[in-house]
Amino acid sequence: MKVSYNWLQSFFIGKLPTPEKLVEVLTMHSFEVERTEKKGSDWILDIDVLPNRTHDCLSHIGVAREIAVIIGDRPLGRDNSLPKGRTPLKEDKSQKIKDFLEVKVQDKNLCPRYCARVITDIKVAPSPKWLKERLEAIGQKSINNIVDATNYVMFETGQPLHAFDFDKVEKGIVVRRAKKGEQITTLENEKYELDQDILVISDIREPLAIAGIKGGKKAEISQNTKNIILESANFSPINIRQTSKKLGLRTESSIRFEQGFDPNLASEAIDRLAGLIQEIGGGKVIQGMIDIYPKKIKPKTIKLEIEKAKRLLGIDVSIKEIKNILEELGFELRVTNYALRITIPTRRMDITLPEDLIEEIGRVYGYEKIPAQLPTAVLILPERNESLFYENRIREILIGVGFSEVYNYSFISEKQVMGEQISDLIEVENPVSQEQRYLRPNLILNLLKNVKDNSRFFNEIKLFEIGKVFEKEEIKRAAGIFALKNKPKEAQEFYSLKGVVDSLLNKLRISDIWYSDQISDSRFRILDLFHQGRRAEIKVGEDSLGWLGEINPEVLKGLGIESRAAGFEIDFEKLVKLATEEREYLPPSKYPAVVRDIAILVEPAAKVEEVLNLIETAGGALVQDVDLFDIYEGEEIGEAKKNLAFHIIYQADDHTLTNEEIEKIHNKIVSVLENEGGWEVRK
Amino acid sequence: MLNELKQKALKEIQGAKDLKTLEELYRQFLGRKGELTAVLRSLKDLPEKERREKGKLANQIKLELENIFNQKKSEIRNLKSEVQDGWIDITAPGILPALGHFHPITKIRQQAEEIFQSMGFTVAEGPEAETEYYNFDALNTPPEHPARDMTDTFWLKNKKLLLRTHTSPVQIRYMESHNPPLRIIAPGRVFRHEATDASHDVQFYQIEGLMIDKDVSAAHFRGILQEFFKRFFGPEIKIRLRPSYFPFVEPGFEIDIKRGKGDWLELMGAGMVHPNVLKAVKYNPNLWQGFAFGMGLDRLAMIKYKIDDIRLFYSGDLRFLKQF
Repeated sequence: MKVSYNWLQSFFIGKLPTPEKLVEVLTMHSFEVERTEKKGSDWILDIDVLPNRTHDCLSHIGVAREIAVIIGDRPLGRDNSLPKGRTPLKEDKSQKIKDFLEVKVQDKNLCPRYCARVITDIKVAPSPKWLKERLEAIGQKSINNIVDATNYVMFETGQPLHAFDFDKVEKGIVVRRAKKGEQITTLENEKYELDQDILVISDIREPLAIAGIKGGKKAEISQNTKNIILESANFSPINIRQTSKKLGLRTESSIRFEQGFDPNLASEAIDRLAGLIQEIGGGKVIQGMIDIYPKKIKPKTIKLEIEKAKRLLGIDVSIKEIKNILEELGFELRVTNYALRITIPTRRMDITLPEDLIEEIGRVYGYEKIPAQLPTAVLILPERNESLFYENRIREILIGVGFSEVYNYSFISEKQVMGEQISDLIEVENPVSQEQRYLRPNLILNLLKNVKDNSRFFNEIKLFEIGKVFEKEEIKRAAGIFALKNKPKEAQEFYSLKGVVDSLLNKLRISDIWYSDQISDSRFRILDLFHQGRRAEIKVGEDSLGWLGEINPEVLKGLGIESRAAGFEIDFEKLVKLATEEREYLPPSKYPAVVRDIAILVEPAAKVEEVLNLIETAGGALVQDVDLFDIYEGEEIGEAKKNLAFHIIYQADDHTLTNEEIEKIHNKIVSVLENEGGWEVRK
Repeated sequence: MLNELKQKALKEIQGAKDLKTLEELYRQFLGRKGELTAVLRSLKDLPEKERREKGKLANQIKLELENIFNQKKSEIRNLKSEVQDGWIDITAPGILPALGHFHPITKIRQQAEEIFQSMGFTVAEGPEAETEYYNFDALNTPPEHPARDMTDTFWLKNKKLLLRTHTSPVQIRYMESHNPPLRIIAPGRVFRHEATDASHDVQFYQIEGLMIDKDVSAAHFRGILQEFFKRFFGPEIKIRLRPSYFPFVEPGFEIDIKRGKGDWLELMGAGMVHPNVLKAVKYNPNLWQGFAFGMGLDRLAMIKYKIDDIRLFYSGDLRFLKQF
C-alpha cells in the first residue's frame, strides 16, 4: 500500500523521523517497506501491510497509529478521533434525513452495517490543490471534489465510501442480492452480468453499484449533480472476495472489504466525509444518519498472565513496561493478580488470544531486544532417520562411481509419457503448463530428458536421482541413467550399469540379488521404453526391487538422442528395508589358492548364469570363486557358438590343496559341464 | 690359480657400482697389463701339454669374464638410463577417477541437517501429496481463511489431494505420532502454483523446524538460529527478527541475515507455535509451547554459492552440476 510521508506527518504535532529512519522503524516493529520513492517534496512509502493487520492498517491513520506507538508520540488522542485542522461537521437542523431517503437492507449477513447521509446543494468542481496532490502522490487520479473526497477519506481511514447522485436514485436504496441475468454498467463503462451470489446496491428499479467493489453509471456524480447520498457500509469479506474473483474486478474498495474491518468505523468515516465535502464542495448536510446496524460489535476482553508473556518471549520486561505498551496501543487495562484484563478496541480484529497480545508486546518492545539463548531443555537424543541415512549412502556410492545427482521436476508432459497409460497417471487439476500436466510416475522419463539436454555438451552422461514418484501411491525411488555417444562395445551401457547396480546393492549388503528377464512386477509397466532383449527385473529372493535395461534405440531416436543409453530404477523403501550396516569379518585362508582356467563352447542363447551354477554345484566347497573373464563369438569357433572362459579359484581353509585333489574336482566340473550342460569344454 | 683368479674377478665385477669402477676392473684383469693377460703371456714358457691345458682354461675364463663384463656394463647403463632418462612431464594431467557430483541442494541440506542434528533435532519427513487438513486446517488455516488464497496451490484431479505448499504439514504429522518434548527438522520438496522467473519456480525445497517443550521461548529460538547461521555461514553472520504473519504461529517473525557489508536478506519465516496448532494435535497449550520455522533451501544455496537463477537447480544441466 502506498503511503505519503507528508500525509502521515499531518497527523502529528511533532516532527516525524526522516523517511529513511521511518522505514527502519516500521520494518523492525510493524511492516516491511518494499520501496521508498521521492515525489516532489513528498516521500512515498510502499508498505507491505501484514495479512493480519489489513483490518486496521490499510489506511494512513492506521499506519500513523503504528508509528505513534513505536516512536512514543501521541497524535490522535486515545479515541483515535480527529486529525488536526479538521472542520467539524455542521448539520442542517431544518431537515431530517428520513424525509429524504429510505434504505432497506435485505441481506443482513452480507451487509452487517449500512450508513447513509444526504447532502444537498453541493457544487461539483475540481478538487483543491492540496487534495489533488495527496491523491496523486499515492497514484490516484483526481476526478472531482466529491469523488476525490470519498477516495481521500478511504485512504485516510480505511473505510471505502461511495457517493450517489441523489436525483438519479429512484425511490430509495435497497441492499440486495442481484437477480440472475441482471446487468450493471460501471463508472468505466464496463458491462457486467450479475447473479444471485452478488450483492448490489440498488434503487427500486436497477443496481446502482456492485456492493463494496464498484459504482455504476446510473447514479454517477456528474458536473450537474446537486444533491448526493453518501454510503459507508460494511460487507461480508468472503462474499466480496468471491464476487471480486468471479468478476475479475479488484478495486481499492474491494481489497479492503475482502480483508474485513471494524463495522464501527462506518459512522465515524461518513461523518468525516460529510465534513470534508462541506468544506470543499459546500452544501447542506441533512440532519441525521441512516444507520442499519442490527448486531453491534462490542469490544472483547482478554486475560493475559504477565508470566506467560515473559515465558513465551524469553524477555525480562517489567509489568510497567507491558502496561505502557498496551496503553499506547489504545487498549484498556485492568490489573488483577499477576494478570491483566485487557479490553481490545473493535478495530483490532486480529487480537483474540493472549498470544496475540504477547505479539503486540514483543514487537513494540522490539524483537531486536530478545536475547539469544540456547535452550536448557532435557537432553533428547535425535533419532536416526533410516531413510535419510540410506539416501545419503546411495548418493555417496553412486557419486563414487561417477554418477552426478539431479533434481528433476515432479511433473511430466503428455508427450513424455511412454508405456504408461495416460489414464493411470495422476493429473494436476490446475497445471501451470502442458509441460507439467501430470505427476511423474517414475524417475527415468525425466532422466531421459536430461540426457537429451546434456548430449550437446557431453559424450558420456551418468546421472541419478532419488525422489518421490506418483503411481497409485506416492513412493520414493532411486534411478540412474548411463548414456554414451560414441558407439561403445556391444551392450556396454547395459553391463556397465548392471555393474553399478551390483556394486550399489553389494555396498548396502543386500545379498541374494538376481536378474530375471521375466518381468513379473506390474508396477514396472514401462516396458516399451526398453530394448526387448536387454531388460531385466532386479530381484531379491522372490521380491522385485526394480528394473534395469537398455533404452529402446527407437525411443532414443524419437527423442533426438544420438547416444545409446541404459537406465535403472529401484524401489527406495524396499532398499532401505533390505539394507544393513552389519558386517562380519572372514579371515582370508592361510593356504594358497590355485587358479585353473576353463573354456566352454556353448550355444549363443546359453546364459552365463546357468554355466556358473553348474560349475559351482559340481565344484563344491573347495571352489572358492569363479570369474568369467571372456565372452567370444567369432568365425574361428564357428557360427552359432559362443566361447565362455572362466578362472576357477580353488582353495581350502584348512590345508594346502594337492594337485590330485584339484585335478579330481576340475575333472568333475568338466564332466558335469559336458554331460549335464551338453557343452563342449575346450582342452 | 686360474680359478682363484676367476673367482676374485667375478666377485669384484659383481660388486661394481658404476661404469668407471668396471672399466678399472677390466683393465686390472683383462687389459694389456691385466692379471689374466699376464697369465696368458706366461703360458709360452710352459711345457707343451701343460701349456695346451692351461691355455684352454685361461681362454675360457677370459671369454667368460668378458661376457660378464658386458653384461654388467649394460646392467649399470640400464639402471642409469632408467633413473636419468625416465623423465616425465609432471604437469601433464592426471588420469581422473570417475567421480560424480552431489546436487547443490543436497549439499546444503546435509549441512543443515548435520548442524541441527548436533543440536538434538531429529530429521522427519512427510508426503509431498498432502490432504487439505494437514496443509491448511490443522495449521490454523480454515477454509475461509484468506491465507488459503495467499498460497497458490496445485490440486490433484480426482484425489482430493494437493501438492504441499510448505513443509509445515510434517509438524502436524510428527506431533500426532510423538509426545512432547520434541525437536525436529523436516527438509523436503514443496510446490507453488506461480509464474516462474529467476527467483520463483513451481517447486523448491524447504527445511522446517519445530521445537516443543515446557519452556521454549523466542529467545531460545534466536539462540538456536544464531548458532545455525554461525555454523552455516561463518561467525560474522548477523541475524535479525522482525514482525511477520503466518497463521500457524503467534507471534510471527521474519528472519533476515546479513553477511559482511551486504544487505539484509530475508531468509526465514518463523514464530511461536499457535495454540490452535497445539490443540489440533491434542497437546495442551497451557503446558506446552515452542517455536517453528521454515526456510527455503534453494534460497540458502543461492546465497551460499552465488547462484542467480533458481531454475538451474531443476535443469539437470551437467555444466551446472559439475561445479558442486
